[in-house]
Amino acid sequence: MNLAIQIVIGGLLQGAVFAVIALGFSLVFRVTGVLNLSQGAFCVVGALVMYTIEVSWGWPLPVAAVAASLATTAFGLALGVLCFVPAVPRLPTSSMLILTAGLLTLLQGVLLIGWSSQPYALPPFSGEAPVVLWGIRIPTQGFWIAGITIAVVFAMWFMVQRTTLGTALRACAENRVAARLMGIDVPRMTLLSFGLAVLIAAISGIAVAPITSLEFDTGGFFTNFGFIAVAIGGLGSFLGSVAGGLFLGVAEQLAAGYVSSLFANALALALLLMVLLWRPNGLFGGGVARRTDVRDEQRIYHAIVRVQGRGGLVFAITAIALVLGLPLLFSNAGILSSLVITGILYISVLGLDVLMGYAGQVSLGQAGFMAIGGYTAAILAVTYGVPPLWGTLAGIVLSVAAAGVLSFVTLRLRGHYLALATLAFGLLIDSLTVGMVDTTGGPSGLAGIPAFSIGSIAFVSPIDMYYLVAAIIIVLVLALYGAMRSGFGRALIAVRTDQTAAAALGVNVVRYKLAAFLISAALGSLSGSLYAFYFHFLAPEMVATPRSFEMIAMLVAGGEGTLVGSALGVALLTLLPTVFQPFALYKTLAEGLLLVLCFMWLPEGMFGFATVWLTRWLRRRALPPPAAEKAMP
Amino acid sequence: MNDATLAIQGLSKSFGGVRAIADVSLAVPQGSLTAVIGPNGAGKTTLFNLVTNLYVADSGAIDFQGRSIRGYSPGAIARMGLIRTFQSARIFPGMTTRENAIAGAHMHLRVPTWQHMLWLKGARREEAALAAKADRLLELVGLTPFRDVAATDLPMGAQKMLEVVRALMAEPRLLLLDEPAAGLNDAETAELAELLRAVRDSGVTVIVVEHNMSLVMGVADQVVVLDAGSIVASGSPRAIQQDKRVIAAYVGAEA
Repeated sequence: MNLAIQIVIGGLLQGAVFAVIALGFSLVFRVTGVLNLSQGAFCVVGALVMYTIEVSWGWPLPVAAVAASLATTAFGLALGVLCFVPAVPRLPTSSMLILTAGLLTLLQGVLLIGWSSQPYALPPFSGEAPVVLWGIRIPTQGFWIAGITIAVVFAMWFMVQRTTLGTALRACAENRVAARLMGIDVPRMTLLSFGLAVLIAAISGIAVAPITSLEFDTGGFFTNFGFIAVAIGGLGSFLGSVAGGLFLGVAEQLAAGYVSSLFANALALALLLMVLLWRPNGLFGGGVARRTDVRDEQRIYHAIVRVQGRGGLVFAITAIALVLGLPLLFSNAGILSSLVITGILYISVLGLDVLMGYAGQVSLGQAGFMAIGGYTAAILAVTYGVPPLWGTLAGIVLSVAAAGVLSFVTLRLRGHYLALATLAFGLLIDSLTVGMVDTTGGPSGLAGIPAFSIGSIAFVSPIDMYYLVAAIIIVLVLALYGAMRSGFGRALIAVRTDQTAAAALGVNVVRYKLAAFLISAALGSLSGSLYAFYFHFLAPEMVATPRSFEMIAMLVAGGEGTLVGSALGVALLTLLPTVFQPFALYKTLAEGLLLVLCFMWLPEGMFGFATVWLTRWLRRRALPPPAAEKAMP
Repeated sequence: MNDATLAIQGLSKSFGGVRAIADVSLAVPQGSLTAVIGPNGAGKTTLFNLVTNLYVADSGAIDFQGRSIRGYSPGAIARMGLIRTFQSARIFPGMTTRENAIAGAHMHLRVPTWQHMLWLKGARREEAALAAKADRLLELVGLTPFRDVAATDLPMGAQKMLEVVRALMAEPRLLLLDEPAAGLNDAETAELAELLRAVRDSGVTVIVVEHNMSLVMGVADQVVVLDAGSIVASGSPRAIQQDKRVIAAYVGAEA
């Protein structure tokens, strides 16, 4: 009995953080309609800044706590002014979601550089000795966490419900345009909500740091569970966020205590999927239900990137020649190996491009399919001696089946719920690859994977593998390009830009979304299998959720909706760390920065920008007088 | 009324307490051009949204070619040959003018996607045929010079024309046009009138919601006047112009 109470108390303390993060989600969502995925990272920023001030510099605890909270908030406000606030009116909500995922990556990159990759724990506020009540040991920090959480929740509630400022915030939530017409400074309110969310995240991070060990990437964990909490509770409801957080904390700790921590993760994600499926407004429902059904969907504008006519042929021949000739230019083994990895990752990003760039569906779980493909093929090969080719095909079948099941959930969802269901899927796969030690080798990975082979031809050396991957890519790009310039591609673009108009022309919207999703799953799986066969080794972090974010950064930087463009993004982020070794430390930061910068200033990506610019330049040279165009027959 | 392409019986729809469409009955004969007119907020666009099931009707029957279409998805209704345009030209961004037009032919595509993936001859032939057809229609409405530019770069009037072209590429049996002349100048409106007559003469039944009286009176076979969700008058353009209730609805009731 005591054990159960102990676990529940642990769960409530854990849940208190989730609740505060959920509150931050809810606050920003209510004002801007955006789910801010960077939320959880600010907990860690707060706690690590506190560590430096309190432990390294030796400042007294209260001063250090205030200084750390304020410093984190100031940093958050700077990010808000530079990127979040100007982006909100410019980008559709799905892009905002990716932008905040970029912020999350960026923050993790900053933490990695500043605090390197080791766990930190703060000393408890009032000593190590726990309080014993009726035989139950409660860490004194627990009282601090409970007190601080209650104070934060009450302060938030009072501010939003009982002050003029709160009324202004709520007005922005109801109708941004009307709020602006009433003289409310909407950008300031956006910044205020963002800053407040950062402040409470920092405070709660500092409060839990003594009982939780924190690393540079723990923010992702906080974001995920904070989000699951807010989804369970309902995005529009204060009470719901808090209750959702506490409930999730207790459920997670009970599952971990009585079954296993693997089961706890799976349970949390299953809860999320169930809520998304049956109660998309959360168990506490209500609040701000946005009428996405009647209102015009936000239309996403992309620059048109086309290399037309003979230009296309010239481009294709040059590109193929370049791909086949590259190994002759670089004899360096490191670079050749990076080129192979670039090619393998590009296959997965190609799938992501069909899904995101063409069909406009955001997936935060692409690495999950790489994991299914990689582990299926590797386990079949290592444990059962199945030939790599068959293992790869089995992985693809399994991935497509998983995508089919997942789409049963996601296709009924709209907007960010869809993206988050894929995130939940990716995280579930993460916890499976780590947790199923007997099958996957757990955190230490699976070694002894053979080289890829077709029949008796084995692709052992990097150069063999390079030409295999190059051949696969050429075939895939040609096939996909053929599909994208046909009715299939037009239907996907139509679905991305205007579902209502697409349906009015007889396009089966659900079918095309499903097709794009299955294609992305199959290509992700293929890429994962090749990855495992190339390294002869597969560990969970090679195909985990950060990889999903990385691939999105590659896609966006290279150019969405162009098929070939994303190769530039993949190459940039894969080759740079090889060429400049010191860059490896800055890779996470660079990914986040690249994602944010591209979304803000280069929405068509590097390839798109270059093509549009080149086309304009060529046209200006070829057709000087615009009047001549009119005379065309 | 078996010869009616579209037969609506007792259709009603309320939003909250407001009756946007109240007990509307309407028959549109095969091959006719019907104009629906009425003041702002009369329920004209709502009527279209009910027929294409973007809004679900509260009650009433909607028969298209003698078959009930209530409860079918907008996509399924389109596939039966009932195609609409939107008040705020909803052309697809991210496509050129010509691609937008070709996108209209989506449900008439016959070559499966895998043949496109293999770049087979039949696939390319189908694309070429569609492009040629799109080019003919674009020529007709004077959009040829803008064929390869982003459709979103077109002026509003041209976007509306493009949307009509896109709808025609779908080879509709019944075409619903929602204020096609909004944003067009007089010359363009005259071109549109010409196009509508040609479409009607080719056997397509047309219903057009319109404010522009000169267009309506010039091309319509039948005019239906909506006010506050109900039909207040219907008949030939000439009869409607002299109808007191219509004048009351537009100018304001004096009695």
